[in-house]
Amino acid sequence: MTATAERPATTIFRRPRSTTGLWSWLTTVDHKRIGILYGYAAFFFFVIGGIEALLLRIQLAQANAEFLTAGAYNALFTMHGTTMVFLFIMPASAAFMNYLLPLLIGARDVAFPRLNALSWWIFLFGGIFLYSTFIFGTSVPPVSPDGITGNLAPGGGPGSFNWLADSPDGGWFCYQPNCGPLYSPGTAMDYWALGIQILGLASLVSAINFIVTVFNMRARGMRLLRMPVFAWMTTVVAFLLLFSLPIIAVALFMVAFDRQFGTVFFAATSGGDPILWQHLFWLFGHPEVYILILPAMGIVSEVLPVFSRKPLFGYSAVVFAGAAIAFLGFGVWAHHMFASGITPVAQAAFALATMTIAIPTGIKIFNWMGTLWGGRLRLSTPMLFAIGFLAMFTIGGLSGVTHAVVPSDWQQTDTYYIVAHFHYVLFGGAVFGLFAGMYYWFPKLTGRLMSDRLGKVHFWLQFIGFNLTFAPMHWLGLQGMVRRTWKYAPETGLEPWNLAVTVGAFIIATSIAVFMFNWYRSKRRGALAGMDPWDARTVEWMTPSPTPEHNFSEPPVVTRLDHFWHLKYDEDEEGRPVRRPEADEMLAHLEDVGRHPTTPIHLPNPSYFPLVMAVGIPLVFYGIIYHTSAWGKALIVVGALIMLAALIGWGMEPLEEPHEAHEPEQEGVEEESGHV
Amino acid sequence: MSELATAAHLEGETTGVENRKLGMWVFLSSEFLFFGALITNYLLYSNRAGFSGVYPAEIYDIPFTSVSSFVLLMSSLTMVLAHNALSRHDQNGARTWLFATAALGSVFLGGQVFEFTEFVVNYDMRLSSNPAASAFFVLTGFHGTHVAIGVIMLLSLRGMSRRRGGLSDSHGMNLELVGLYWHFVDIIWIVIFTVVYLLSAPPA
Amino acid sequence: MSTTDHPTPAQYWKIAVVLAVLTAVEVALFYINRELELGALNAVLLITLAILKFVIVVGWYMHLRFEKGLLSRFFTAGFALACGCYLVVLATLGVVVIRGG
Repeated sequence: MTATAERPATTIFRRPRSTTGLWSWLTTVDHKRIGILYGYAAFFFFVIGGIEALLLRIQLAQANAEFLTAGAYNALFTMHGTTMVFLFIMPASAAFMNYLLPLLIGARDVAFPRLNALSWWIFLFGGIFLYSTFIFGTSVPPVSPDGITGNLAPGGGPGSFNWLADSPDGGWFCYQPNCGPLYSPGTAMDYWALGIQILGLASLVSAINFIVTVFNMRARGMRLLRMPVFAWMTTVVAFLLLFSLPIIAVALFMVAFDRQFGTVFFAATSGGDPILWQHLFWLFGHPEVYILILPAMGIVSEVLPVFSRKPLFGYSAVVFAGAAIAFLGFGVWAHHMFASGITPVAQAAFALATMTIAIPTGIKIFNWMGTLWGGRLRLSTPMLFAIGFLAMFTIGGLSGVTHAVVPSDWQQTDTYYIVAHFHYVLFGGAVFGLFAGMYYWFPKLTGRLMSDRLGKVHFWLQFIGFNLTFAPMHWLGLQGMVRRTWKYAPETGLEPWNLAVTVGAFIIATSIAVFMFNWYRSKRRGALAGMDPWDARTVEWMTPSPTPEHNFSEPPVVTRLDHFWHLKYDEDEEGRPVRRPEADEMLAHLEDVGRHPTTPIHLPNPSYFPLVMAVGIPLVFYGIIYHTSAWGKALIVVGALIMLAALIGWGMEPLEEPHEAHEPEQEGVEEESGHV
Repeated sequence: MSELATAAHLEGETTGVENRKLGMWVFLSSEFLFFGALITNYLLYSNRAGFSGVYPAEIYDIPFTSVSSFVLLMSSLTMVLAHNALSRHDQNGARTWLFATAALGSVFLGGQVFEFTEFVVNYDMRLSSNPAASAFFVLTGFHGTHVAIGVIMLLSLRGMSRRRGGLSDSHGMNLELVGLYWHFVDIIWIVIFTVVYLLSAPPA
Repeated sequence: MSTTDHPTPAQYWKIAVVLAVLTAVEVALFYINRELELGALNAVLLITLAILKFVIVVGWYMHLRFEKGLLSRFFTAGFALACGCYLVVLATLGVVVIRGG
């Protein structure tokens, strides 16, 4: 470190200093700020994806409608699915994980704060890259030797919004060879494949970061089996990401190479095997489903005990069931492929494996119900969403078991029954869970409570709208309405329920508008929350609200599960909680110490380089799409040089070793003036 | 290191393995899934009969590849000697072995460029010839990319060490981490050499 | 964890010699198989040799033998998961995994 100490503080490698304003957000490595950035970005994409869904529903409200062209319809359902999975639920979960994981385990930050910032910037640029397809992408009708031209009629056919058709239109699963160079010429699918690749990179970096954080950064006494369930589910999801993302990375490279560099992995005319794509995609895609749902399960496992004033029923069973779901999740991918002609032995094996997933899932559901049972329930908004999750997810889970039965699956494949199923688990499950979390931890974020009255309006509108949207899809599907088709004939009799579905979709949209209004208003004028508004159980509520930058002035020393609760409550002979007389005094003390740390606290310094590094990545990927032109090649070189420069800058950055560079007293002063 | 600082400040329940090292091992464990998929592609397509054009297994130059495999294997030796020298505070020795490792890696890469050129020029086996050829080039190409990134990291370490007052184990990107990565790339090649080169034969 | 357990440079050189010899045996086996058509035996021997080299590099050069068990568990998990999943993919796609040279 001697070399660093000698360097003048004015070189370009000086660490950024801003703590407020735009610059501080661009260089932040604070896990809470990164969590907030993830959250807002994810919600922005949620609104975009929702608008796409509404356009689809307007088209389907009537038989033979001509609102959207076929091309626009294909593009919209592709981007709706892609957006909701990769740009909403995953980053929204990442927002919770970033904000909460260190707090839940009693740490000051994640293990690698700069890598954490890198993940966020890569994610943001990946999302922008993917959406830039609407500006730069092209999607032209294929001219193939066998005369198959797809359903992109010349000029787009009847309907409007045909300009949207110049974007990815192969579905979020990108089946081959439909999405290969022969049947999907133009650059739109390249934007899709490479965009997902960038987003995957962001998640992989996060996954490594979270795993190391959980294994190395826990507060004293926070043994693994004392961690809150959300921290556990974060760990499980991190492992799922860690092991499933490399698979999709390879698969996406294969697609990109087929399209860009002339490989023939999936070109049926050269002997390529489209089923290989399905294997690789679903080998990633099924763990991905659990990546989407497990964070919501973790949130619900935090909310239910607090609002039932009971410990989580069967804590270790819930934790191990989560891990079991993840493990089994790697062994069931081919149930997405029952209709693809895999052998009967494979079908039987995967059907059985799939059914076994119902066991750990059932364990969780019964444990949550056991938590509610006999509890003193407070039906505040977070609790309503958690109970909504429980009910809706159970319906989705049960319809999922019906797909595990192969003959029944053949009937359901590619119908609206499947659409109904995965919206019940992903919207009724994951999204309800995420909203429960937003209402629950809003006070931690802002120091204020969200309006409970508006929250209840939001919940009931969303709950009714959700069921009106997705329940009828079950029967539409069983009546034979096929997915991904932009028109149906009036004679099919599908029109009334489709109209109901569209009305439901608009009710959901209304409920989201209520939520946004509530968020906006409560952030400014909501009731002050204090540090422990819900009488909570876990250690993140031992910090003042909003959380100070250093999280804990004195990291907690954890003695048991639900540590915070047991500091506040004792039990009488019948096991009922009795508030300790000294509880209020303790809270006041915690709040005071939390705001005014008595010992100097060194926090990770902000850095420019995560942002710089992340800028280089989309440049390289744009370059790959246009690599045949000179400027495309130039972009690759420029992007690579930026990344190399960032790597060196990252390595050279003065690190301000706290023990060598500063006297403790100075640090304390810096802390007071700089961070608080 | 800020990463270290936060860890050190919270005496807590930890694995006792330094953060970055644990992170590197976690990352490497995921790389198995990455190369596994590429090897799977190769095994699938190199065993499919009836493709037009040359199968990679028909034109391997085993003596040549054996030599380049040997070179990469020995680069693991020089890498571990570099780390050993550093742990004995022998900066010069560490730098020399580091350079030797980068050099051996570059020789391996040169061999791969030569091999690819041979295949294209003499046997007209290209990326687009058939799926087996695609799988071969993409698998070995990605491995080569990993080696190239390793060489860049080794050289950056050397370059940065001058400004940071010598090589050390306490920097963000340090010799031990690069070493782990380097050995991992080597063990992947051990698998590729056996499964892809020595064991594969053109389908009957 | 302590550095005292780590091999000495001399041991590293010896390990390298072992690795070189194993590689030589592998290549020799390749040519022997060309003449004698060993079939499945060839595959078994070559894979065994590869595993041996793999374990030696991971265990000694990567020091995994001398590290906390947790690292081995992570590493083995990735390796085992990859082998398991991809073997099932290959089986489902009807590939005889090793054709025995």
